Amino acid sequence: MGARKNDILQGTLVLLVLETLAGGGPMHGYAITSHIHHMSDQMLRVEEGSLYPALHRMQQAGWLRAEWRKTEKNREARFYSITPKGRKQLQVEQESWLRLTEGVARVMRAVASLELR
Amino acid sequence: MMSWLVRLWNILRPGRLERELDRELSFHLLERADELQANGMSREEALRTAGIQLGNYRLYRERTRDMDIQQWLEGALRNLRHAGRALAKAPGFTATVIVTLALGIGSNSAVFSAIYAVVLRPLPYPQSDRLVTLEQFNPKARQPVIAPVRLADWNRLNTTFQAMTGYYTQDSSELSGELPERLTQAFVSRRFLEVWGVAPALGRDFSPAEEHFGAHGVVLISDRYWRRRFNSDQNVVGKRLRFAQLSATIIGVMPASFQPVRNVDLWSPSPDDAPFAQNRELTWYTGVGRLKPGVTLEQAQANLNAVQAALAREYPRPDAQISPVVKSLKESTVGDARTSLWILFGSVSLLLLIACTNVAALLLSRAAARQQEISVRFSLGASRTSVAAHLLSEVLILAIAGAVLGLGVAAAAAKVFHTLAGNLPRVEEITLDWRIAVYSLGCAVAVALACGLLPVIRGTRENLTGSFRNNRTTVSNGNRLRFTLVGVQVALAVTLLAGASLLIRSLQQLGQVSPGFDPEHILTFQMSTSWAETGDFKASMARVDRILDGLRGVPGVENATVDVGLPGVPSDYQVELKTDQGRAETEPKILAQGRAVSPGYFTTLKVPLIAGEMCRDQATVRQMMVNHAFANAYFAASSPIGRHLSQPGNIYVPASEVTGIVGDAREMGLDKEPVPTIYWCTYPFQPGTRFLARTHGDPALMSETFRRKLHDIDPARSVFDMKPLTEQISDAFAENRLRTILLSFFAGAAILLASVGLYGSLSYSVHLRRREVGLRLALGALRLRIVRQFVSQGLVVSSLGCIAGLILAIAVKRFLAGMLYGVSATDPTTLASVAVLVLAVSFLASVLPAIRAARLEPMRVLRED
Repeated sequence: MGARKNDILQGTLVLLVLETLAGGGPMHGYAITSHIHHMSDQMLRVEEGSLYPALHRMQQAGWLRAEWRKTEKNREARFYSITPKGRKQLQVEQESWLRLTEGVARVMRAVASLELR
Repeated sequence: MMSWLVRLWNILRPGRLERELDRELSFHLLERADELQANGMSREEALRTAGIQLGNYRLYRERTRDMDIQQWLEGALRNLRHAGRALAKAPGFTATVIVTLALGIGSNSAVFSAIYAVVLRPLPYPQSDRLVTLEQFNPKARQPVIAPVRLADWNRLNTTFQAMTGYYTQDSSELSGELPERLTQAFVSRRFLEVWGVAPALGRDFSPAEEHFGAHGVVLISDRYWRRRFNSDQNVVGKRLRFAQLSATIIGVMPASFQPVRNVDLWSPSPDDAPFAQNRELTWYTGVGRLKPGVTLEQAQANLNAVQAALAREYPRPDAQISPVVKSLKESTVGDARTSLWILFGSVSLLLLIACTNVAALLLSRAAARQQEISVRFSLGASRTSVAAHLLSEVLILAIAGAVLGLGVAAAAAKVFHTLAGNLPRVEEITLDWRIAVYSLGCAVAVALACGLLPVIRGTRENLTGSFRNNRTTVSNGNRLRFTLVGVQVALAVTLLAGASLLIRSLQQLGQVSPGFDPEHILTFQMSTSWAETGDFKASMARVDRILDGLRGVPGVENATVDVGLPGVPSDYQVELKTDQGRAETEPKILAQGRAVSPGYFTTLKVPLIAGEMCRDQATVRQMMVNHAFANAYFAASSPIGRHLSQPGNIYVPASEVTGIVGDAREMGLDKEPVPTIYWCTYPFQPGTRFLARTHGDPALMSETFRRKLHDIDPARSVFDMKPLTEQISDAFAENRLRTILLSFFAGAAILLASVGLYGSLSYSVHLRRREVGLRLALGALRLRIVRQFVSQGLVVSSLGCIAGLILAIAVKRFLAGMLYGVSATDPTTLASVAVLVLAVSFLASVLPAIRAARLEPMRVLRED
């Protein structure tokens, strides 16, 4: 499968999906990957193998709703949209993400200061 | 909840999910191919590339099957594996928790096994809830045994019983060994096996012909006797059994579980049509009945009352005075032991609660130490449920390991019951079977939830205040909870200890009671006698006299006597007496305890003579002694000496002359005040009569000499139940002893656990506050002050616990009320000494961590963080 340079850190995928769906209307899986890919300036690539299981999990947790609809190209696709519960979860995920980055930043600073010595 | 339904749906419709996923993925593939094609690839190439990028469908399907229950189970197993690994890394913690739980769950299961076997499990007979005991109550002569004719009448006239029967026992001798061995024989009325609902394991029941007077002797033998004497011989039926002066044909072997009467090895028919069985005043059957299906005790009692009322019209003398008593057989068998056992169960449940609290506190500190790890898991997207499941798996592993170890404790405890409480009803049925194992596992799961939930809720709180910040901020809060838990432990331990101390005090008080007779240096025993022999008064009395004479001739023996009971062992034989002068109607009835003793009784037991003279051997007139309490109660104005007293209704005992007054003795039981008592001076000889001999030295050492001497005097009789009187009395209070010993053990374990909890919490507190302590030491604080601070923290917690525990002990005092002797349930001395003991132990538990805190190296601690 080649290098996995920009694979998404496990756990942040939920955050990214919720964020994506919270911004716009219902989207199918392919649109979600493309959106994340574009919004991150081609830095993040969502693996399909992680995306679909994640979508199912989130749907079961009640964060997403899914329904079959036709696309403009008249193909059957499963469209996902965010639920109110999902929006709450998004907030939780955002906070936890901020904490994580803060923590990591601290560690990195500490490492940097050690290296400076 | 929702996700469970979805999972269930997925199990029921496994195909649906896969098809949906297939459709979704093929849509994805097409979209991707479109995009690639737009970038300049051929359609074919685009599809292939998209396919490669998407990888293998099957792979995704595997991964998507997360919603399957199988996956969920795998997750649970993974959790358990992880938990096992995590526990192995903390062996000290793991061992402490497992041992604590083993102690808690094990002792709980042990007491439960006793409760289950004795109280909860039905008696080992078919539809045993329909079995009842039958008694005839006569206010003048308190003997519950029934006249054979009356029992036959009851059985014939009632409409609520399927059948009634009765039995009596006597001891005989097995003469095949070197010395005669005790062999207990029961004589049973008709319908005996029908009432119990049990058939012989080998052979057959008695035939009607064999139940007639004068029929050839037949016998059913017990499984125990069959194994011991006949080596489990399958061809035993039809053999002739010779014992003592009798012989009978064996017609069957009873199953091993059939033990309605303790120690009985032989069952023989008792002919109800015997001429001597036709007198309505002669009573000897212990009655048992089987109710018809659906009949209640009350209905049976009412029915039997009506039957007896009819008999009273037909035979006014003596049936008008008699009333029938119906009781549940199980209730009569286990009734007394029930309270003791439930109290033990209550205390052992307190112990389990303490163990749980202790483990919860340990888990709390472990969760606190792992807060960082848990925060990281949350940040990486783990759900609260999964973190909770992970933490609970750890507790579950610990609890199950504790339960398994605890079963070992329970197995050992079953032996304790057998040795400590040999006369507990159904004690032989206490075993460790699968039900106890299931109960232990149930305990383990309950414990896991009870201990684990609190730390899990705290540990997985979603909004972890600054999980990546220094966790010092969350400390004070968690610590308060820990100390609350310690306080609860101390309180429960104090309650248990108070109960145990009160029981110990009661036993001590009982030991210090002055019984009014001297039970030391007395050897007691019984000799086998048959009821048939008692028909010949003269020969029987001569036999007893000959044995007493022989004993007095043994070197080292001071004196010897016989008594129908054992002085100091609870008994009750109340009689109503009449004087020859008559009494006014207004005067109270003369009620007294009656004892039939040989004239040497008072000198042998050192009961002092107060007035008159001792009754004499071979006196031509029937003589009687009374005690001080009797004289005071009924002849305060005059003197009873010289009066003739008779017992109306008792045809065996003619009027006797009172020759003297003796001191009061606690013969009805050491725990009871002496009551008015009369002593018939005679030579009691019926089965159950006790021989008592006063020896110069240790009575136990005389056993062999006695056995040989008795064999010389009467080689055909077995001698049994040979024990010093002190041992007999202490055996009579074995149930007291059992609950005292067990409760003390539980209380000790509880104190140990509580102090371990206090020690652990303080140590942890010292650990958390080491920076503060270090800082203060660096700033010049005195080490003694540090010690004092931590010790007082520990003592405050245990004092509060102590107070709560004492309040609890006083609140539940009514449970103990009937079991205490000579000490009140709120005895200040006892409760105060409990408090002092607990505070002393908590001081020790606090002082070690406190000293450790004071010994901290300030510089090292401050550099740590």
